[in-house]
Amino acid sequence: MPPTPPTATRDPLPFIAGLVAAIFLLVAPWLLPRFVPDFWVSIIAEMLIWGLFASSANLLLGYTGLLSFGQSLYFGFGAYGVAFAIHGFKLGVLPAFFIGVAAATAIAAVAGFFAVRLTWHYFAIITVVFSLIFYLIAVGWKTVTGGDDGMSFALPPLAQFGDIELTLLDATFQYYFILAIVAACFFLQWLLLRSPLGMAFKAVRENATRAGLIGFNPYLIRLISFILSGLLAGVAGALFALFSRYASAHYMYWTVSGEAVVWTIVGGTGTLFGPIVGAVVLTIMREELSTVWEHYLIVVGVIVILMVTFAPKGILGSIAAWRTARRVTPGGPAATGGKGTQE
Amino acid sequence: MSTILSVRGLTKKFGGLTAVNNVDFNLPAGELHAIIGPNGAGKTTFFNLVSGFLPPSAGRVVFDGQDITGMPTHRISRLGMARTLQVKSVFNGLSVYDNVWIAAHSRHRFLHPLKSARTYGATADDAAQALAAVELTSRASELAGNLAYGDVALLEIAIAIAMKPKLLLLDEPVAGMSPEETRRTVRKIKELARSVNILLIEHDMETVFEIADRITVMTQGEVLCQGTAREIANDPRVQEAYLGVPEDD
Repeated sequence: MPPTPPTATRDPLPFIAGLVAAIFLLVAPWLLPRFVPDFWVSIIAEMLIWGLFASSANLLLGYTGLLSFGQSLYFGFGAYGVAFAIHGFKLGVLPAFFIGVAAATAIAAVAGFFAVRLTWHYFAIITVVFSLIFYLIAVGWKTVTGGDDGMSFALPPLAQFGDIELTLLDATFQYYFILAIVAACFFLQWLLLRSPLGMAFKAVRENATRAGLIGFNPYLIRLISFILSGLLAGVAGALFALFSRYASAHYMYWTVSGEAVVWTIVGGTGTLFGPIVGAVVLTIMREELSTVWEHYLIVVGVIVILMVTFAPKGILGSIAAWRTARRVTPGGPAATGGKGTQE
Repeated sequence: MSTILSVRGLTKKFGGLTAVNNVDFNLPAGELHAIIGPNGAGKTTFFNLVSGFLPPSAGRVVFDGQDITGMPTHRISRLGMARTLQVKSVFNGLSVYDNVWIAAHSRHRFLHPLKSARTYGATADDAAQALAAVELTSRASELAGNLAYGDVALLEIAIAIAMKPKLLLLDEPVAGMSPEETRRTVRKIKELARSVNILLIEHDMETVFEIADRITVMTQGEVLCQGTAREIANDPRVQEAYLGVPEDD
């Protein structure tokens, strides 16, 4: 019998939408200043970082079935890793970046070892507790971490070729540096989610008992997912430190973790680009609303409540579900088996 | 004939209640064996002990020559024991195909994090075969959660056989099925029994007497008797266990 995986009919829309977004991101530093103030290039770079951060929560919640409210811990370790390496050890940008990511991954392995034994609210609570412990340490240990004020550092050049110096102080170069790393992280997630390991994540998400009965160790699968998620959050934190030239305990507070979850839910849990869409939509909303009304968070809160109640699949998830439903002709089976573009 | 499953002195106590009491049980390879008994006889607890869902209070379980007492479920599964549950348990949010694909792939110890799942030819073959064996090939791209009850039960069996197990434990495979679904499932179980050892729990006597080579009767956590369908049907102790003591004058 020949292998016959179900052949989903190719849907061009996600591809076109992705292509348009990719082209926009590539030309943004050239295109945007013609229409809006220059700082929008930096805002987009920052939104890419927050989108990557949200995707770390999505890897756990959307693909492994674990709700983490502690992603700020790994973000903070990524940021402080960079700050200590540059400020304390006078290292270059790239070594500092890798130290930040390694620190975040290591602490995720430690926290994950304990956390993945639990699920649902117990898991959510233990992830919060872990991040709070380190938040309190970082806030209290002001001489080392700078506490809530944070520690600033001067950014060394990234590389030097003769007279040409590559530095993140150049806004355009910084933008492309961030775009390249965020894009690479999403590409790796895309590969991961269609790989056997990604299938095992989804199996554990859907039914951990059954996953165990077919021979997977659910704890180990969850731990791998947790560590990879910590790595992604660490990359986001390291990028953010390089972007803002400082690290602060403020970014280790649990509300930062909460934002990652909210962005994921609004954008579409269990969709690859949902977290970035959620981060973009809510960040722009914040930028615009906060200039009009100081209690703008109330509006954001109402929108999130409406979203969770009436469109729990989020923006991308709802679009995919709506388009799949439209494709189903009455009396005929769904050609794509209801999966549509969601995976 | 070799023994695929051997149980000695297996006991499980929940507080003051002894759910399984000092059970000895041998399953020769190549046999379709059924365990029957009234509600609360300890059948499912027995399955839970054998498959690693529960640690026994005492006793040993030897599967295919290896002592598996106290092993976690996933390790027992990897040794070649597959199981279906009384409450049907599949991956609802995955397609029917992915349900069997992931089971067929589970014997790989290394899960590649970057290579596409669709590039594994042998896994795809096994998955397609498992689906064909339960006649669900035409449903491959549907979400498992959208299947009718009878099809979910068959999918669960397909997940189990995609693992190419040495022993298949079926917990009430036809419970809650329509007569039509029952006929279809019974036919499939009979076909499967030609290539895999099957041990099943079932309430439906008609089904049991039709398909089982041999039957074990459990009551109150203990093995009451063992034998062929005919022997069991005529055993007065079995009638007593099911119907109570006849009140002769």
